[in-house]
Amino acid sequence: MLILNKISKKLGDFQLTDINMEIPEGTYYVLLGRSGSGKTQLLELIAGLNVPDKGEIWLDGEDITNKGLQRRGIGLVFQDYAIFPNMTVFGNIAYALHARRTDKKVVSERVEKVSGELSISHLLGRSIQHLSGGELQRVALARTLITSPRLLLLDEPMASIDASLKDDIKRLLRQLNSKGLTIIHVTHDYREAVSLANMVGVIHNGRIIQEGIPDQVFRKPVNKFVARYSGIRNFFRVEFREENGVWSAVSKNKVVIGLSGSFYPDEGLLIIRSDDIKISPMRPDSGSENCFRGTVIDILPSEFGMEITIDAGETYYVDISSDTFRKYPVTVSSEVWITFSPDACVALDSKM
Amino acid sequence: MNRYGPFNWILLLLSSLVLLFIVAPLTGLFLHTGAKELFETAGDKTVQDSILLTVWISFAATLFFSIAAVPFAWLLARKKFPLKSVVQGIIDLPVVLPHTAAGIALLGFISRDGLLGKAASLINSRGGIALAMAFVSLPFLINSAKDGFSAIPERLEKAALNLGASKSRVFFTISLPLAWRSIITGFVMMFARGMSEFGAVVIIAYHPMIAPVLIYDRFSSFGLKYARPAAVLFIIVALVVFTVLRLMSEKRRSVDPKDENADS
Repeated sequence: MLILNKISKKLGDFQLTDINMEIPEGTYYVLLGRSGSGKTQLLELIAGLNVPDKGEIWLDGEDITNKGLQRRGIGLVFQDYAIFPNMTVFGNIAYALHARRTDKKVVSERVEKVSGELSISHLLGRSIQHLSGGELQRVALARTLITSPRLLLLDEPMASIDASLKDDIKRLLRQLNSKGLTIIHVTHDYREAVSLANMVGVIHNGRIIQEGIPDQVFRKPVNKFVARYSGIRNFFRVEFREENGVWSAVSKNKVVIGLSGSFYPDEGLLIIRSDDIKISPMRPDSGSENCFRGTVIDILPSEFGMEITIDAGETYYVDISSDTFRKYPVTVSSEVWITFSPDACVALDSKM
Repeated sequence: MNRYGPFNWILLLLSSLVLLFIVAPLTGLFLHTGAKELFETAGDKTVQDSILLTVWISFAATLFFSIAAVPFAWLLARKKFPLKSVVQGIIDLPVVLPHTAAGIALLGFISRDGLLGKAASLINSRGGIALAMAFVSLPFLINSAKDGFSAIPERLEKAALNLGASKSRVFFTISLPLAWRSIITGFVMMFARGMSEFGAVVIIAYHPMIAPVLIYDRFSSFGLKYARPAAVLFIIVALVVFTVLRLMSEKRRSVDPKDENADS
């Protein structure tokens, strides 16, 4: 269990303020925040690269606030991996063991083992110059995992690897977590939170403004920022299916939503951003777009105009600008049509 | 033909003049020295000893001082402390001081009444020469090593600490190897600068005679004609040593990793 108790830290013009966190063992915690929100700084405090001005950090019942970073047993994988350029892949992975003066035979055994698990055994003798982003990331992970950390901290692990490798790395991270490793994963991408986390925190301007299980955070954002930032109040658990090469998603309420693209998993999450949905008072000429009739449940002014809640089989949240609202005013319980393109639907495989 | 506009011609002319200014006296020196004189001087035991002495004292002084100067450079590159800019200024001081003034200052320090002189007499000794050489040339090593350390992303050191390495281990396995090229460059520069030092050394030790003092001695006692071959010989030796060391550090560069691979 990791506990942060009223952590504050001033860093130049920026400040982390009154951070409280409780992360039980085995949790996959995704910390969501824009760049400059303080998420990396928070990771560095937990890892011990910096010491907080105020507050305490506890890990498994031990106060580690002022403990040296060498002795914390917390593994940190940097965003750019920080691979040592003066060593081979083997040298990088073995570094922590060499620092512990481990027996040579044990070192090579353990390096073999961890690199096997991460499928990088074939890279061991190489220098790091010509490795790809994905390979570097695996080396960084192996280098950290070989220390058997009590807690794994990942700074934007998906930021600099090819899209095609993201699923691989997600699978790997899920696997590590399912073996009991507690992971804190920092990202700006809500999709990673949805597909990996069993706990989500949203950080903004150095404060944690919301925390909870993903469903809670995304469906009931505490404020407009979280709603806007996560941007995904419209997400439905769906089954994917294919008919004559055309894919669609079927929600729990049996709403069928047309998709573009192909090769979806059996089930997962479907996300539609609130500003990708259009509203019209009459049935529009929708063409290939998804088009549903619904009833307005709620209208709330938002930072960006109006947020309209519509029941159309599922509950949709739609953002429209003030201008649009003035031109086409809608009222609560009036009937409207919503349309959105199949391209606007983001499918996520959320099986844990 | 924009590329050869008047501005470029002027640039070319000015650059050539500067280059000529450096090359011409040296070329003149070589042209005025006959092969016979050169060989005679090369065979002169006094000259041989003097050049050898200069090279090894400068090398030893550089090596000795680098033991303390390199960690100091790391400190300057990594840590913030009060009066850091003052410390930085003090390090650069020997570069701006007239070297004879530096020699006088050192002399007071190592003379019998001075702080160090009480322990051992260094005047007219190899130790004294080494101190004088180091005094004026240390900034080159410190500044170059400092630049090398500053160029290492701090994250690499932090990552090593995070993996459980001690601070000294991080210094020897990460910081030092990655700054190696700059340290060697600084080493070569300090070595070369020490070898060519005259002003500070001549005040501390006229004897044993290092090469720059010997050249001066021959010039003032016998005139230009006798000083010239010794000067040429010393320049040749200095160039050879300098080139060899440069090549060695270049070779290192080719095996050295470019930079960090990551996108920061």
